[in-house]
Amino acid sequence: MRAKARRWEFTMIKNSNTKLKDGIAGGLIYLSATITVAILIVIIGFVLYKGLPGINLKFLTRMWDDVTTVVDVNRNNVTGNNTEAGYVESLGISIALEDEAVVIKSIDNDSPVKDAVNVKKVPYALKKGDVIGKAGSTNFKNITLEEAKLALNEGTGPIKMKVTRPGGGIVPMLVSTIYIIGLTLIIAAPIGICAAIYLNEYAKPGKTLNIIRFAIQNLAGIPSIIYGLFGMLVFVQGFKMSYSILAGSFTLSIMLLPTIISTTEETLKEVPRTYRESSMGLGATKLQTISKIIIPSALPGILVAIILSIGRIVGESAALIWTAGTIAQIPKTLVGSEAAAATLTTKMYWLIKETADLEQASSIAVVLIVLVIALNILSKFITRRFLKKRTS
Amino acid sequence: MNNANKEKIVAKRQKDYKEKVFHFIFLVSALVSVLSVIAIIVFVFSKGLKPFFGEGAYSFFDFITGLKWDPGNDVYGIFYMIVGSVLATLGAIVLGVPIGLLTAVFIAEIAPKKIVAIIRPAIELLAGIPSVIYGAFGLGVIVQLIKKVSPTGQGESLLAVICVLAIMILPTIITLSESSLRAVPKSYREASYGLGASKIQTIFKTVVPAAKSGILSATVLGIGRAIGETMAVMMIAGNNIGGLPNSIWSKIRPLTSNISMEMSYASGRHQDMLFATGVVLFIFILVINTVLIRLTGKMGDEGSKK
Repeated sequence: MRAKARRWEFTMIKNSNTKLKDGIAGGLIYLSATITVAILIVIIGFVLYKGLPGINLKFLTRMWDDVTTVVDVNRNNVTGNNTEAGYVESLGISIALEDEAVVIKSIDNDSPVKDAVNVKKVPYALKKGDVIGKAGSTNFKNITLEEAKLALNEGTGPIKMKVTRPGGGIVPMLVSTIYIIGLTLIIAAPIGICAAIYLNEYAKPGKTLNIIRFAIQNLAGIPSIIYGLFGMLVFVQGFKMSYSILAGSFTLSIMLLPTIISTTEETLKEVPRTYRESSMGLGATKLQTISKIIIPSALPGILVAIILSIGRIVGESAALIWTAGTIAQIPKTLVGSEAAAATLTTKMYWLIKETADLEQASSIAVVLIVLVIALNILSKFITRRFLKKRTS
Repeated sequence: MNNANKEKIVAKRQKDYKEKVFHFIFLVSALVSVLSVIAIIVFVFSKGLKPFFGEGAYSFFDFITGLKWDPGNDVYGIFYMIVGSVLATLGAIVLGVPIGLLTAVFIAEIAPKKIVAIIRPAIELLAGIPSVIYGAFGLGVIVQLIKKVSPTGQGESLLAVICVLAIMILPTIITLSESSLRAVPKSYREASYGLGASKIQTIFKTVVPAAKSGILSATVLGIGRAIGETMAVMMIAGNNIGGLPNSIWSKIRPLTSNISMEMSYASGRHQDMLFATGVVLFIFILVINTVLIRLTGKMGDEGSKK
């Protein structure tokens, strides 16, 4: 009787011990999951808190640097019927003073400033928001609105104007990012997809296959800074491309091959065997089967591979800084000094490192996070539709 | 009749020809990866090993054991950077793997579907955030917090690097651990429940041990990520010019940030030495890759046995 009671007591203690242990372990599990989510919230919160105030239409639509140009405008004395205080009849524009600078506020449809040409006689149409620094021989520094109007209306015929288009926007980086995404995909996507086709459809188990797989796995593990060093050594210096979007794209192409190959291979594997067998059974050749049956049914997966790659390109910095440079300009050529271009991410890095401007860097970060979220949603959307199709 | 036959043969030959050409194209595309790996190794190693050979060569022993980096005086020692990189990586693993693994357990074993539908996209987003943003976050939040409690009064430290790297490897650890936890057969769990084990006991005594190799390869992948991370680390490490770290509050200069700090203006031997730093980093990565490939290969074998 006593022994029984003791045993019961013992089981009780053991039970409560187990319960305590379970409780602690369970608590730790919940704590960890909470930490993970909290980290994401804090990061995004920090970026939004620092970066959101800097985001406005100007930030999204302007060039990075201020651009000052001297233009010639033919005044044709349009007789505007605008009676605003800052309206300049001879040019058909409205001006206003902002921070002691003369800014163009609106432009009439038939205004001659739309046909303005720069010193090289290349058309340079003035836009809303441009700052007039000088007109004719009058300097617009510390000028009143009336004086500015007078100077702009003075005389007839052509007038020379110094115009500054204010910067502070991310347009060059957006355009460069898109260029680099396009170029990289043109190079890497065909190679990656063809390689995946070889691995899944042609390769027989053996030495060649092992070597190729080993190489791809290694390529996936190399950190992006090594790619940066390699790209600088080979493309920038070796092939004399200098810092350029092409050098950057070649470097990124190699870096992205493992992503594209393995994602594409996964989807190729999912194409049912029966598809291949029925196609072959109908007398199609292997190539016909691949191009008419396998690739079309693997297309959504290939698309996901491409979206994943875009995400990596958008976020890449170390591999691009020493191959594409950090100059904020819209590249005009593929190689050479006019081809250097900073993407959003490399410019953000540059801002933190060179100017310690965390606010402006965070504004770029907000744009980046929005892009990343959009890409994630897009790839999810494709995967979901694709899966639905398969199961139904 | 004869003509038609001939045409058929010609058409077939053309077909064969096309097949062969495309087979060749596919093969060449697959070989691009092999060529790239070889090219990367050859170019980076040949430039990185140059300063240790020929006339006026720098002693490789001094390079690998040196405690000071002073390009201005032709002193290049990276031992303290290796120590910094290894310590930062170890710290990130010690901090990140338990949190990541437990989060994976939560997602795979405990959480109801609705919560998984929220957490999973959050982790995917965490994985997609560019490393520069992690650097900015580290600089703006973690470094500021450490500054308040650190005895040295400085925020840039080994601890800051460990925190940011631990956050950065979380998505890798979580996704890979989760899929290996999910791959554990249901019968294991049922057997454990049948023996009277509780849910938590089942998870830690049965499911996690069964997913061991997957979790291990997630950890190794995390090590590779952490040691190769550049941009985020560079902004928060402090990047001292010499001396071993003696506490978590001391500044460090990881191998990667040594390269990225000075690459933009280095030339001559200085630049070669940065490539040499890259070679040391590369050797670490090659070892980690080999371990990883072995591990995943083993996993594949186990899978086929089942």
